[in-house]
Amino acid sequence: MAVMAVHQFAQCITCHAWSPDQSMVALCPNNNEVHIYRLVEDKWEKVHVLQKHDQVVSGIDWSTRSNRIVTASHDRNSYVWNLEGSEWVPTLVILRLNRAALCVQWSPKENKFAVGSGAKTVCICYYEQENNWWVSKLIRKRHDSSVTSVSWHPNNILLATTSTDGKCRVFSTFIKGVDAKDSIKGTLSDSKFGELIVQLDLSSSWTFGVKWSPSGNTLAYVGHNSMIYFVDDVGPSPLAQNVVFRDLPLRDVLFVSERTVIGVGFDCNPMVFAADERGIWSFIRYLGERKTASSPSRYGSQFSEAFGKFYGQSKHGVSNDTVDTSRTRGAVHENCINSIIPLGEHGALTRRFSTSGLDGRIVLWDLENEQDILEL
Amino acid sequence: MAGAEGFVEADNAEAIIARIEHKSRKIESLLKQYKPVEALKTALEGTYAMTSDERCKSAHWIAVHRALMAIKDVDGMLSSLDPEYYDILMKYLYRGLSTGDRPTCDQCLRIHEKLTEKAGLGCILRFLTDTVNTV
Repeated sequence: MAVMAVHQFAQCITCHAWSPDQSMVALCPNNNEVHIYRLVEDKWEKVHVLQKHDQVVSGIDWSTRSNRIVTASHDRNSYVWNLEGSEWVPTLVILRLNRAALCVQWSPKENKFAVGSGAKTVCICYYEQENNWWVSKLIRKRHDSSVTSVSWHPNNILLATTSTDGKCRVFSTFIKGVDAKDSIKGTLSDSKFGELIVQLDLSSSWTFGVKWSPSGNTLAYVGHNSMIYFVDDVGPSPLAQNVVFRDLPLRDVLFVSERTVIGVGFDCNPMVFAADERGIWSFIRYLGERKTASSPSRYGSQFSEAFGKFYGQSKHGVSNDTVDTSRTRGAVHENCINSIIPLGEHGALTRRFSTSGLDGRIVLWDLENEQDILEL
Repeated sequence: MAGAEGFVEADNAEAIIARIEHKSRKIESLLKQYKPVEALKTALEGTYAMTSDERCKSAHWIAVHRALMAIKDVDGMLSSLDPEYYDILMKYLYRGLSTGDRPTCDQCLRIHEKLTEKAGLGCILRFLTDTVNTV
């Protein structure tokens, strides 16, 4: 089984992040606090509570090398937390937003972080040594709606964003003094801060969960229309693939290797997508346990009742148990999974990852025994 | 889609309607030969050349409706239908359900149940979220 452990932390978790040695996890239990738990002899102990935000914390990221936590909240603020002694000390980052901050991520070199917001802007924040504070530069143009997700390219300059306007965009975040001049090779080396490199208009519905592949050559993001989009050779002439799948939409994705992606979302069960030798992506299988179509599955009386009413209208004897048995119940997650984080070394191959969801659980997964996926 | 269909917007609506009429005649002949599945496939083909012109949409719908009502073996029809047509069929099913006409709704509901089983909830999602290509 791919599931390593299931931990129930709260009624609902909005986001989570792991410490560099994976001994502690920071999560937001759907309120304005961040709770940090440490695993002490098989039991999770709450060791810190970070209380500074006024509204729900929508994004947390914990940098691996510098051990800093950045949090972003609906209160339009972001804090960078540094561990001093045994206390986490917050530093306010003035984002200059007039709407909620929705997502946050440290850049690969951890000298910048990006915040996506409902104000149709992306804030790129960097540390100014002279004034000892974090400065925020805004990418104001281009987005027509809330920025739902951000992802850094391995070169620390390019940033991909998804938005509820249905488009995925790649920007340059080159900042003089922070980034080295020769960070990007080729045609993109002259890009200015905030320059739109490419805009992908593949979806007509909200887009979420964008991620770059480990080499930075491929981009994957999901749409709310139960589709996942893969784009190779991101640049002036990208190759896009739209993959349609059966079930409910996804919310987030993770590149497990250059050609394997795990998607999580409203189906409460991670989905595995992979590219074959020709580079064509397709859905492989679900990761968790699934009830097979042969057994009549009780997936909650509400659901089957509704289908029963719907089909009963046509006065044909329908057995509503057979409809859509692919939905899992009694699965590991019982509600929408909204975030997937890699565990361990961020390298070309991720074997372990964790997912958190609206059911308040964090589940740790290991692909060790999933030979068919590792061999893809 | 690419090719001639892509320039449909440049053509006037009359050209499209003429094409649909030609298709309708083909559908009628297929139905006379008791080939409702082929008729439905013919009706669904080419609807990808979406236009926003209401007359074209109505003409398309009439052709699809004709083929849909003739289907007796829903399972057989779905098993021989290309998966790329599932999404477009779902859109027409909802159009049928919105007519309120009893026989149409009965038939559409019957097909809807089987199609959901085959194509999954994602198919319904794609109908709901696609505000650009409506039927």
